Amino acid sequence: MTRMTRRALGRLAAGATVLAAAPGLSFAQGSNPLRIGYSMSLSGGLAPNGRSSLLAHRIWQEDVNARGGILGRPVELVYYDDQSSPANVPGLYTKLLDVDRVDMVTSSYATVMIAPSMPVVMQRNMCYVTLLGAGVNEAFKYDRYFNMNVTGDDIRANYAKGFLDVAARLPTPPRSIAILAVDNEFAQKAAESARYLSKQRGLRIVYDRSYPPTTVDFTPTLRSIQSARPDLIFIGSYPPDSNGILRAASELRITAQMFGGGMIGPQIAAVQAQLGPILNNLVTWDIYSPEPTMDFPGIRAFQEKYRARAVQEQVDVLGNYLQPYAYAQMQVVEQALNRVGKLDQAALAKDMHASTFNTVVGDIRFGIHGEWAEPRNLLVQFQGIRDGDLEKYKKPGAKVILFPENLKSGELRIPYGVPA
Amino acid sequence: MSGASLPLAPAPAMAASGRRHLPFWLGAVGVAVLLFVALRAIGNDYGYFAGYFILQYVVLATAWNILGGYAGYVNFGAAGFMAAGAYTAIALRKATGLDLLPGIAAAATVGALLGLGTGYLTLRLRGVYFSIATLCLAVVLQTLVVNWDYVGGSRGAYIVRPREVAPFTSYGEYLFLVMLVLAVLAVGIARTVEVTRLGRGLQAIRDNERAAEAVGVPTLRLKLIATALCGALMAVAGAPLPYYSGYLNPEGAFSLAYAVNAIAMPLIGGAGTWAGPVIGAVLLGSLQQAATVTISSALNLFIVGWMLVIFVAVAPRGILGWFRRRR
Repeated sequence: MTRMTRRALGRLAAGATVLAAAPGLSFAQGSNPLRIGYSMSLSGGLAPNGRSSLLAHRIWQEDVNARGGILGRPVELVYYDDQSSPANVPGLYTKLLDVDRVDMVTSSYATVMIAPSMPVVMQRNMCYVTLLGAGVNEAFKYDRYFNMNVTGDDIRANYAKGFLDVAARLPTPPRSIAILAVDNEFAQKAAESARYLSKQRGLRIVYDRSYPPTTVDFTPTLRSIQSARPDLIFIGSYPPDSNGILRAASELRITAQMFGGGMIGPQIAAVQAQLGPILNNLVTWDIYSPEPTMDFPGIRAFQEKYRARAVQEQVDVLGNYLQPYAYAQMQVVEQALNRVGKLDQAALAKDMHASTFNTVVGDIRFGIHGEWAEPRNLLVQFQGIRDGDLEKYKKPGAKVILFPENLKSGELRIPYGVPA
Repeated sequence: MSGASLPLAPAPAMAASGRRHLPFWLGAVGVAVLLFVALRAIGNDYGYFAGYFILQYVVLATAWNILGGYAGYVNFGAAGFMAAGAYTAIALRKATGLDLLPGIAAAATVGALLGLGTGYLTLRLRGVYFSIATLCLAVVLQTLVVNWDYVGGSRGAYIVRPREVAPFTSYGEYLFLVMLVLAVLAVGIARTVEVTRLGRGLQAIRDNERAAEAVGVPTLRLKLIATALCGALMAVAGAPLPYYSGYLNPEGAFSLAYAVNAIAMPLIGGAGTWAGPVIGAVLLGSLQQAATVTISSALNLFIVGWMLVIFVAVAPRGILGWFRRRR
């Protein structure tokens, strides 16, 4: 057996380091590429959505390079894992802008990752297209910020509108509502919207509580809601707690005319597979559903490519949630660059404010604060769900759109809690 | 402290080092000036951000070392104290509009009071029981912040910092300089503690608290001073955090990484000496920062864990202890 000397070990370690660093998380494609930089949550709590967003970005990169790139230059993505930790984000964006010298920046997924990058991006006056932020620019008021999210400028007035509009058309008009939300920014904004709109419409709020994100047992909470006998139950929750709430609701046989509202989790393939029939008749907020009314140009081609690689890449196998929006995020950058014809950040921002973008999630325009000019919060209902088989979610009919009217693809079924 | 089993570097010759305050301060200021000038010459903002990241850990690890290294009381609540500083800065800004520097002063005061109060309530506990109590403190503080809407509650708080601060080239440079000054002060304070009667008393407590008390060491008073100093410096390390990131939520402020690094860095560098936490923070902080932008940042805590395992096996007294033993 050959003994490894200290020097050999050193060489091996140095070689391994170089090899590991060589991909450098940047992928050169030729001379003078156009570099788009961002941090992405590839590990930590936001990784499932972060990694599937990255796959969408890479599919876009391949598509655009196959068309000859942007401004005659191949596109290169330069990204770093932010570990789902906001404290890492400012340093990463500084590295992207000052060391890697990227030409454009986009964002990671989620408000908590977008907000810490804002001061750095603003300092360099960069145009910034973000993914699924919630009201980030309310604080910064940056005129070069553009957010790919359906919530619009006024989350309070829009988020729960679909839930309450659909509820108003119930055969027996509801008189009371229970509101439950996890202690985090997005869910609290959702609850605030439900509270505000319920008061406006004269609904009696019979239960209004928050719970810490670490909660695992929801049985006492749901029993308490049950005892208040609300007609509607609005829940703002995140994936781990959405699972717990829905399982507890199923075990306690909770029924309400409408149950759900603002749950994040049921949009994710793994959750759909796990919960199966528990999702039947659940009514919740969403951003995409493969219904005929959302068959936008390019969406099928994107989803085919995405689904073909999703299993191998170990990401969400359906791509029915934020993945099309991640692809569309890059389409916005592409179209603005092609229209402006140069890397002038001021001109790009002007174009983004003025233009309509044709994307795989439809035609969009940005409003004055960088949110979508026309909010498009969907209210969907899971219908006819008897098992956890995911094939049905690739076709229309399993996740029916109830709101808004122009995208509506089915009628509400009540109550929640009955088998399909 | 009974039950304390921290591997510690041997104490330096105190009488000799006690007379060397001026050379230390001149040396520390000289190194700081050199560092600042070198980064300014490079002219890259990333250097400032990476430097800030490492220096915040120098302050945090040095603060931990005052109680954990000198007195042998292991504090698992570093993230709690750090977050207390960060949220003090946020609350002060919201209430009065005062900026970073007053925020740091307020954070020091709040951190010291918090440390004093925690010490008064928990210092009768020893060993692992004290450590658990400090861990609980972080949980209690996080629950308070989550339910305190004034500082953003669970939603988090935004700090819209100015784009530039005269005469600095960028806000990043300003933040770096502030953290550099704080790091020099923290290390200077720790060294002063180490070479004075306070440090000797704390070391006596660490070696055998009952014996120390029997020979007249005012143990409770010294421990309270140590907890107050430790709390103040940890809070100071956290005060610039919301200005650094522009946004702070409870999950970020009370991150496990701060608590783990605050303990790992002094242990790797050599607990019980002022230089040990500095070496540990520079080594581990640089490694983590390098890993973030090269290999994959998911390896950060993995690196910390492996470094700890390696050092416990190969150099249980840290880098300084290892070198002293070889001499």
